[in-house]
Amino acid sequence: MTNYFVIQSFIRWKVVYVIEVKTMAKVPNLKEIERRAYMSYHKDGLLDIFAGLYILAFGLGITMELMWEFSFGVIMPAILIATVLPIWIAAKRKITMPRIGYVNFGTRGANKLTAVFIGLLVAGLGAFFAFTFATFQGGSREWLDLIVQNGMLIVGFGTLAVCALFGYSMGLKRLYVYGLLAAFALVIGHFMGIFFAYILLVLGTTVMVTGFALLIGFVKKYPLKGD
Amino acid sequence: MILAQLYVVQSADFLFLQNQTKMTSGNLSAHLSKLEDAGYVEVTKEFVERKPHTALALTKKGRTAFKEYRKKVKQFVEKLPE
Repeated sequence: MTNYFVIQSFIRWKVVYVIEVKTMAKVPNLKEIERRAYMSYHKDGLLDIFAGLYILAFGLGITMELMWEFSFGVIMPAILIATVLPIWIAAKRKITMPRIGYVNFGTRGANKLTAVFIGLLVAGLGAFFAFTFATFQGGSREWLDLIVQNGMLIVGFGTLAVCALFGYSMGLKRLYVYGLLAAFALVIGHFMGIFFAYILLVLGTTVMVTGFALLIGFVKKYPLKGD
Repeated sequence: MILAQLYVVQSADFLFLQNQTKMTSGNLSAHLSKLEDAGYVEVTKEFVERKPHTALALTKKGRTAFKEYRKKVKQFVEKLPE
């Protein structure tokens, strides 16, 4: 009988010991730590604000019928990138870094993101030039008409793919939501005959407002020392 | 925890580490000085936009020690019964 109790208490002790040791001895999940560190840098909503602003600018451009002019369609995006990028960097330095500190992620993450960006840029430019070249060519225009007629669907699913790609490479889950939202809005717009620019205006505003909400939350969560 | 944070980045400052580890500044400071004494962490003081800035990074020794620690914990956890 005594042996029975000894064995029982030993088994119980061993179970408790194993559970406790297993809970304490965790192998550090480096991917999760890296993802959290990277995510903390994009909690500020600045990316959303500038992306929203960019979408809004395009929506306004189309509404004002400026989009198809060379100066707006080609030069404006370049000007926007050239002006937005330094402002974004300055905002990161003035708002984000004093609150959550400075970190250098090294080249690993940046290389992945640069590869995605260059790939998309090349694909986008290739599609643009192929479309432009085909437009000025003679012959059958049936497939071109098909693209034009289903433009919103193509842009919608294209946006979903781009957002998913950036969301995956940056580890930002909200980019998936933006992609789904854009695809949903554009598909609805296609079937209900809503003007493309209006959808861009709504999407741009939504993304920008989300960005501002994130920024307010970020500033409240991480006040400056001495605030 | 500190070593794991520094392992995934090239360098970080005190505030970033404090936010990620959720440690108090006194606690983090004490841990960092011990890690620095052990030669695992390298502290670089510099000026960024005329403000003093302290960058922290893992040394080669620290990186190797952390790798070894991970390997040992992994082996230990694997040996534990289900």
